[in-house]
Amino acid sequence: MAETEFKVWQCQTCGYIYDEAEGDPDEGLEPGTRWADIPEDWVCPMCGTPKSDFEMIEL
Amino acid sequence: MRIPQEIAETIVGPKAYGENKPVDDAFSYLRREMPLAIAEPEGFDPFWVVTKYDDIRTVEGQNELFHNGDRATTLVTKEGDRMVREMMGGSPHLVRSLVQMDNPDHMAYRKLTQSWFMPQNLKKLEARIREIARGAVDKMAAKGGECDFASDIAFLYPLHVIMEILGVPEEDEPTMLKLTQELFGAADPELSRTGEQEMTDEQRVLALQETVGEFIAYFSEMTKDRRAHPREDAASVIANGQVHGGPLGELEAMSYYIIVATAGHDTTSNTTASGLWALAENPDQFAMLKKDPSLIPNYLDESIRWATPVKHFMRTATADAEVAGQKIAKGDWMMLSYPSGNRDEDVFDDPFSFKVDRSPNKHVAFGYGAHVCLGQHLGKMEMRILWEELLPRLDSIELNGAAELSQSNFVCGPKHVPIRYKMN
Repeated sequence: MAETEFKVWQCQTCGYIYDEAEGDPDEGLEPGTRWADIPEDWVCPMCGTPKSDFEMIEL
Repeated sequence: MRIPQEIAETIVGPKAYGENKPVDDAFSYLRREMPLAIAEPEGFDPFWVVTKYDDIRTVEGQNELFHNGDRATTLVTKEGDRMVREMMGGSPHLVRSLVQMDNPDHMAYRKLTQSWFMPQNLKKLEARIREIARGAVDKMAAKGGECDFASDIAFLYPLHVIMEILGVPEEDEPTMLKLTQELFGAADPELSRTGEQEMTDEQRVLALQETVGEFIAYFSEMTKDRRAHPREDAASVIANGQVHGGPLGELEAMSYYIIVATAGHDTTSNTTASGLWALAENPDQFAMLKKDPSLIPNYLDESIRWATPVKHFMRTATADAEVAGQKIAKGDWMMLSYPSGNRDEDVFDDPFSFKVDRSPNKHVAFGYGAHVCLGQHLGKMEMRILWEELLPRLDSIELNGAAELSQSNFVCGPKHVPIRYKMN
């Protein structure tokens, strides 16, 4: 089965970008970590906005 | 726990921020000895001083529990506060921008321009900003190897960018710069409206009111024009925008223009000048950056952390709360010290050293939470483009006299950075 493409998510408060391909190692999220695998209580590392207030974007 | 009086006076003193070291020393002491304690400088109501990085984020992350607008959003004396309330019908604010708002207004007013300030939209401006940046670099080259980098370059480049975005004609830029410096440099004799060496609270508030009045007169005309003839500029968005199903309130619209026309360039200028000053004082860091321009993004974040041009904002507790083991009572006033958070030894390795390769560097210079700086991506983009253009042409830099900071406990940065340099 083919892997689905990595997606990019953006915080709607501060603009922080979470790219599934790159992850965020400073936050303990290894490259390739899918958005769905990030805990629901995770918050934006730049401004504290909840995960639910991120939107998927095309860059 | 009360903060020693000498420290309390230092952390509110504009002159101390102009010297920097007394402030750094005061906050280092507080982080070590009493990281969250009450200060009561002479003439001020008592307030908590939040000095640790984590505590600043804790407070800013709870914007319903800690409000921006219930009391003054920046430090003000009791007399200054009384005068503002008298002028403004009981409100503690001379203007009402995003900075002074809480929800539901804050979110409604922020949404008006939020998407505009996101990186994907700003990309459209990159080519034009690069053109302006090249002009600034050419101007620096034409100076022949000596200039005041603050007033000749750093003040003018972000000013031109934001005024073009806002829709202010180029001939009015000197007026906008002067009014901005009067607003943020109200306690600095060189920058203030009156030029007085010492001012009473009354003189300072009256001068600020006159400056705000001049801004309002200017932007009222602009609103009329953009309502009649909308253009592709930010002024047209503010003039014709809708919040809560109707046009922006009069004070809120004027305040929106004012925050874009002031905070939209002054902090970027401060950071640009501070960053170059730091490179001039640290030739090894300049050499490292020259050798590896891929460090420019790290250098920018380090410049922002180093400068931290916004020195504080105030918050007011809306209910009894506990932060870092201290009982905060409903109505208590709290000073969030961003330079202190950005020198927190528990978060930043060797915080008093300027390192162009610092990583990670999640400073709090833009704030944190719902009120995080709306213009942060624009500011960083402007600085990135300037350094992408300037760095390859800059062979050497050194200070050519004493650099000077403005005297302000609110927005503060270099007003003079005399340098000698070689460019190719």
